[in-house]
Amino acid sequence: MNSPLDSSVLFTVGPVPISTSVATVWAIMVILSIVAVVVRRGLALVPSTTQALFELVVDAVDSQIRATMRVDPAPYRAFIGSLFVFILVCNWSALVPGMEPPTANLATDAALALLVFVAVIWFGVRAGGVRDFLATFASPSPVMIPLNFIESLTRTFSLLVRLFGNVMSGVYVIGIVLSLAGLLVPIPLMALELLTGAVQAYIFAVLAMVFIAGAIERDKT
Amino acid sequence: MNFDWWTLAIQTVNVLVLVWLLQRFFWRPIAAMIEKRRADAASLLAEAAAKREQATAALADAERERNELVQRQDLAVAAAQAAAENARTAILATARQEAEAAVAAARVAIDKERVAVESEWAERAGALALQISQQLVSRLDGASIQGAFLNGVLDQIGKLPESTRQAVAAQHATLELISAVPIELAEQPRYGELIARAFGQPGAIITYRADAELIAGLELHGAHLIISNSWRADLARIHFNLADANQP
Repeated sequence: MNSPLDSSVLFTVGPVPISTSVATVWAIMVILSIVAVVVRRGLALVPSTTQALFELVVDAVDSQIRATMRVDPAPYRAFIGSLFVFILVCNWSALVPGMEPPTANLATDAALALLVFVAVIWFGVRAGGVRDFLATFASPSPVMIPLNFIESLTRTFSLLVRLFGNVMSGVYVIGIVLSLAGLLVPIPLMALELLTGAVQAYIFAVLAMVFIAGAIERDKT
Repeated sequence: MNFDWWTLAIQTVNVLVLVWLLQRFFWRPIAAMIEKRRADAASLLAEAAAKREQATAALADAERERNELVQRQDLAVAAAQAAAENARTAILATARQEAEAAVAAARVAIDKERVAVESEWAERAGALALQISQQLVSRLDGASIQGAFLNGVLDQIGKLPESTRQAVAAQHATLELISAVPIELAEQPRYGELIARAFGQPGAIITYRADAELIAGLELHGAHLIISNSWRADLARIHFNLADANQP
């Protein structure tokens, strides 16, 4: 078993190495895009069962954004919802035999955490401008500016570590159990991994909403 | 530890692209569809509310028109009832007048018929009385009856005014004594003497004649007087009184 911090390279494009997780993400992107296009083509005012299911997902995301951020969900729906769906599908891809979930790769989780970090800045500046966004670091007191700045970095790092640790550990636990008893024994752990993957996706999305809400809170007040 | 910065960069771009793709093909269309359905539902609800208001207004109009129709109907019924009452009153008045006229005419006819019947019965009663009287007189003694009737004639002469008796005596008029049965010749001088003495004219000329229609009694006829003391005269008087009493 390789180190969880290492990533296997499938091929290289010039100086750029294409790792397994990147290829897996591309496959997931293609599948999600195809599903999205099919759903979009089949949209009707009177919904089918499938459309009703996807509308339920959209409505649940909107409700969660509205409950967590207390804002109109439209500007944040695509980012938060896509993060949730992407992480959920990546986590559940571990159930496909021979496939390693991209979220078990540190670089992928770092990319997601980096996007959240940038999104916090982006939505904060867009909501209240640079001045107001920077003013959020002085809340509740200018004395807190260093701590708030460090917190913005550490919470991003915590996002990365939390997702990576949970998914990677699950993958490795299942791999170890498989090496010891390959038949039927890993099934409960795989079921637990399904739950863990959904919970981690939900936690990542909710934390992203909380961070963004903290950035736009000054503008709201 | 070997962190793959290329993978970090590529995955960052991948996620951004996925976010864009899902936003374009998933989140935005479905949210737009939800919003469109919500707007359509709101529009339908608003339209339904408007139509309900229209229906309510139409119902109110219908109710008002119905009330107006009911009022018109009541007025028409009242007018018809009044006209019918007037017509009934007029018909009843006409019928009452006609009935009263008919009753009056019937009463007049009945009275006429009753008078005619009573007259007829009076005639019949008179005839019957005459017949009965004739049968009764035929069974009486003629001489004594004649004497009684002669006394009655003499009393009536005595009740005449003195001027009337003197006028008869002065004219030396001829008097006619009519009897129901012929006066015997032996009795005629005595009858003449008594009558002449009653007038104060002893030599008066008296003629005698018999008339069965007198039934019984005597009648003395002069130029200007008639003294009746006969049953025929009595029956005629009774008949006259009865006819006069039956007059309406």
